[in-house]
Amino acid sequence: MERRVVITGAAAITPIGHEKDEIVDSLVNGKSGVAPLRDDDLLSGYIHSKVYGTVGYPIAYEFERKYRKTMGPVSYYACQVAKEAIEAAGLEPGFLSSGRVGVAFGSTHGSPTVQRDIYKNFFSRSPTRFSSVGAVDYLKSMVHTTAVNITKMFGITGRVIASSTACATSSQAIGFGYETIKFGMQDAMVCGGADEYDTTTVAVFDNLLACSTDFNETPHLTPRPFDVRRDGLVVGEGAGAVILEEYDMARKRGADILGEVIGFSCNNNGGDLILPSPTGVAEVIRLGLENAGIRPDQVDFVSAHATATKMGDIIEARAIHSVYGDHPYVTGLKGYMGHTMASCGVIETIITLHMMEEGIIAPTLNLEEIDERCAMIRHTTKLHELPIRIASVENFAFGGVNTSVIIKRFE
Amino acid sequence: MTRDEIQDEVLKIFKEAFEIENPGLDDDLGEKYEFDSIDALDLLSRIEDLLGSSLTQNEKKQAMEIRTIRHIIDYVERMAAKRA
Repeated sequence: MERRVVITGAAAITPIGHEKDEIVDSLVNGKSGVAPLRDDDLLSGYIHSKVYGTVGYPIAYEFERKYRKTMGPVSYYACQVAKEAIEAAGLEPGFLSSGRVGVAFGSTHGSPTVQRDIYKNFFSRSPTRFSSVGAVDYLKSMVHTTAVNITKMFGITGRVIASSTACATSSQAIGFGYETIKFGMQDAMVCGGADEYDTTTVAVFDNLLACSTDFNETPHLTPRPFDVRRDGLVVGEGAGAVILEEYDMARKRGADILGEVIGFSCNNNGGDLILPSPTGVAEVIRLGLENAGIRPDQVDFVSAHATATKMGDIIEARAIHSVYGDHPYVTGLKGYMGHTMASCGVIETIITLHMMEEGIIAPTLNLEEIDERCAMIRHTTKLHELPIRIASVENFAFGGVNTSVIIKRFE
Repeated sequence: MTRDEIQDEVLKIFKEAFEIENPGLDDDLGEKYEFDSIDALDLLSRIEDLLGSSLTQNEKKQAMEIRTIRHIIDYVERMAAKRA
């Protein structure tokens, strides 16, 4: 049994806005969400890259203590976007607790803020400190903390898939959620990812010489996907959630359908855990099209992973070209907000849905002079008022994990 | 600490840490306030702060039967007396 899967709710907390209107305004007007790295009293003073994709606005959380007590900052993000997406989709509490709804949600590594507090206790060498590790610290910081805090808050009793594949986390969540509904195991899934402000991730990329450092005084000018002056990625924070739902059920209940997931692919490079693989990336793109049952020329838009690293962008551009030629418009949305890690896949999916709805294709921010080694594809260098019918959202992660999510405008 | 002082401290913990204000001394905390095992473990670490010393594993296990504020006050009083 193969069933159609549609998107009936979406919400995101991003460095370029929270509400759809704010996000679209940033896309249309080229507003960056990259800001100076915040002081964290730990690593920020040692990191060379001084920029961060920042959620710089307050969020009005209204969570009761019984939910808050097991939530670190990452789960605040996750539960807030899940709440907004569930409300937007209009899913009733009885349905959420029916066993027919599951959660596919993840983060890079639970809550680093809480983990840091745990380690501070361990390393203080005080005899009473061991017992001061709070009873809930594990629940706040474990790798599936976002997924299960969502189940608790909304009484969701179906499957839990807690993907945690760094940059591919939330695209995997969408893909696995899609497959779960497609093959009849659940009727709806809350899918997405979140990551909180965290300098340890910046330090890892900084030490790999993969972080942007040339624009510390002008954060809005970095990252620069596919640009000749790109000098690395910018780590960011954020969250996104989409509600995936079986098509017939969504239609019957009169849900507002934002788009359809028509394909998903995921593979591994089978080798190096850091360097992207041209073969692996090209193959995941092909597999996505095959899964969707479409030809390359039917895809109008590619949301590239495009982190703005020296090699990654070249490899991705070549892989895109090897499958699509120079047909679809290609945008690296990280130019607006940096790399929001576990949430990038779902945020880029939601932004693609927004562009589908608005009939626009936003350019890659900071792409001023295309690197000739990336020039073989059709870069979006200015705002176009063009319809997107079918789009592919590509994400690639440390560990050699690649994904492609294919979405279609609902007609 | 006198029993009254212990009661004041316990009620203060419930107000500040658990957002439970003026609970009845014999209210079933689980039934009435959704006070669960996570909260119980959190409470024990706060009782350790109150006593100024660690509770042993056995002492903590004894606390798992506690259901009401009155039980908590009894427990703290007993633990404080052991340490006097």
